Amino acid sequence: MAGSALRRLMAEYKQLTLNPPEGIIAGPINEENFFEWEALITGPEGTCFEGGVFPAKLIFPPDYPLSPPKMQFTCEMFHPNIYSDGRVCISILHAPGDDPMGYESSAERWSPVQSVEKILLSVVSMLAEPNDESGANVDAAKMWRENRDEFNRIAERIVRRTLGIPT
Amino acid sequence: MRALGISVLSLTLTVIVLANAYYQKKQFYPSVVYITKSNPSMAVIYIQAFICVLIAGKIIRKIFFGQLRTAEFEHLMERSWYAITETCLAFTVFRDDFNPKFVALFTLLLFLKSFHWLAEDRVDYMERSPVISWLFHIRVLSLLLLLGSLDLHFIQHAYLSTISKGASVQLVFGFEYAILLTIVFNIAIKYALHSVDLNSETPWENKAVFLLYTELVMGLIKVILYIAFVAIMVRIYTLPLFAFRPMYYTLRNFKKALSDVILSRRAIHNMNTLYPDATPEELAAADNVCIICREEMTTASKKLPCNHIFHTSCLRSWFQRQQTCPTCRLNILRSPNSERTEPRPRPMPANQPNQFFNAFAGPNPFQIFNQNQNVGPNPFQVLNQNVHQAAPNHAAPTPNIAPPNIPPSMHIPGFPLPPFPLFPFMAPPPMPPQNLQHLGDEELRQMEGNERANVEARIQCLRNIQIMLDAAVVMMQQYTAAATLSGAFPPTNRNATSANSANSNPNTSNVGDNTTTSTSPNTTTTTATGSENTSASKTENSSIPLNGNVGSELNSKTFVDSKIEANVDIKVAASSEFDDAPSTSGSLSPEAEIRQRRLKKFQQITEQQD
Repeated sequence: MAGSALRRLMAEYKQLTLNPPEGIIAGPINEENFFEWEALITGPEGTCFEGGVFPAKLIFPPDYPLSPPKMQFTCEMFHPNIYSDGRVCISILHAPGDDPMGYESSAERWSPVQSVEKILLSVVSMLAEPNDESGANVDAAKMWRENRDEFNRIAERIVRRTLGIPT
Repeated sequence: MRALGISVLSLTLTVIVLANAYYQKKQFYPSVVYITKSNPSMAVIYIQAFICVLIAGKIIRKIFFGQLRTAEFEHLMERSWYAITETCLAFTVFRDDFNPKFVALFTLLLFLKSFHWLAEDRVDYMERSPVISWLFHIRVLSLLLLLGSLDLHFIQHAYLSTISKGASVQLVFGFEYAILLTIVFNIAIKYALHSVDLNSETPWENKAVFLLYTELVMGLIKVILYIAFVAIMVRIYTLPLFAFRPMYYTLRNFKKALSDVILSRRAIHNMNTLYPDATPEELAAADNVCIICREEMTTASKKLPCNHIFHTSCLRSWFQRQQTCPTCRLNILRSPNSERTEPRPRPMPANQPNQFFNAFAGPNPFQIFNQNQNVGPNPFQVLNQNVHQAAPNHAAPTPNIAPPNIPPSMHIPGFPLPPFPLFPFMAPPPMPPQNLQHLGDEELRQMEGNERANVEARIQCLRNIQIMLDAAVVMMQQYTAAATLSGAFPPTNRNATSANSANSNPNTSNVGDNTTTSTSPNTTTTTATGSENTSASKTENSSIPLNGNVGSELNSKTFVDSKIEANVDIKVAASSEFDDAPSTSGSLSPEAEIRQRRLKKFQQITEQQD
């Protein structure tokens, strides 16, 4: 039998392929390495990210699911909870114990009960409703709060870029 | 491409140097002498040798590893830089022996080291790869054999050389190869464990435990080796700076392995003692999938107090990190603790003949005051002492649960009350044991782990104290009123209070009525007492024992004393009302009437109670 992390990742991959959640595609980049996944997330409808298809990379630790994976968008993103290098900052991806922003309760942190699917769904809802308190990208958080029109314009430009449409 | 260019360039340079030497000297031996004497030529030869080593490394890597994965390559690069820096540091210690042979030996050491690292990464990868081919097994096995025999050979060489020629740089090599040999052993054990696991049909649950212990034993051996090496080096040469970084990492890893083993043991112990095995019916009732590994639970599984069921092995590895239920985050260490500590305060009121304590079967906040006899001045102490003077056999101090078991950190500066023992109020956090020095690291860590819970409990305690203080203020007001009355009608007051005290089952609304009725005619104080009133009703049963106790045991004189004491000690905003109450009753013209009304109400109430 292979390692437990690998078995769990395979099970999750199978689950995601059999019952894909709406607007989300995810799977290993290479079937020989189940610890690096690629995901495609469509922007939630009715938000400024509507219509966009955002590629992201998921890196799993050797002790998954005891530790959370890391998630990073590989396209340009402008969002209060996404660092400028694409890393996603949501509490579900933080192991209990480390608290980068100092405000998260442990109830919303990572636990083995979470899964790739839940992470991606959380990311979708994060795209729809940014948490401007956490401020991984302070500029974006400020703009989201104070100048929503400008934020929407930038988001639209990003959406167009992910689709390959000239802006 | 760039690598190819550099090798070609270096090769041409070497050829030029050799051709030039041969052209000038015409013979083999003189040309060799010529090259060794000329610094630029030697530099070219060194570079060429270095490139040859790299090429050899690449070829061997191709044979034993095939294509390196990105992570492996990054890991290798990172480690090589550290290793090269440390080698340069080592050169400074042995600068007297510095010669080409010495450099060559160090290069060989680095070369072998890098293969050890690669082998380590590759074997770790076994657990994560879905396909392990025969080639992989052959490669790993032959590489391990080769590395092991080379390490052994070099250790032997270093040993013999040190025995025959005395301490030299061979000491460093002997030690380095000994460390490498432990790494080879470690890799071999891991490889064996992974292979067994790969070939078995069912998941091998105890593999993680075996791996933990391997890590621990190897860590210990490495730590001993490093300490011995540093000790020898300090005695013979100087402080081996170059060994400090790896030594630090080894110590850290060992510490981590040790704490992992301890945590794992504790998790196993907890699971074996605290949680029942899930029965087949329970497994059938739930959806039968362990949420941690997403596999069916047919084998050993455990049920937590919150009724969530997991594989035993999955739970163990999770409990090594966190002592919570993965699903609902119930703190699994806390629940058994509170079960253990909760019953302790309960039997105490039953032991005391005091009727007021008996009236409250639950944890009684008042007993705190009996326990905290020997601590600094506080308003309740006065009450307490009075209680003891009047009835010394009633509320005997209970030294077995005395305050000394409270850590000093719990003392909140600036607060007049002494630290409280936590247990009488609510489900307490884990109790601090009597003597911290007897605690193991593990237990201390456990306390630390629940720090937040402790803080919350403390804050809750402080809130309760605040409420009780407020209640005390309200009652002081009542008593002030009563004291002024008792000046006029001493026996009635006595009766009233004692009657009040005789009632063994007072309730909250009583207190509320008391306050409102006694003060409502007095228009100046109504608003203030209105706010007090809410706090008084909030206090629920905590204020009543105060009322009863004081009323039953005190005459009006001691109670004025206590009023004064309280006035000094309680720094509550409401304390100004204290002064107001008598003064208003003294200055107002329909004062006598109000007094009479109050007294009537008082009597009415006591009659109702009877």
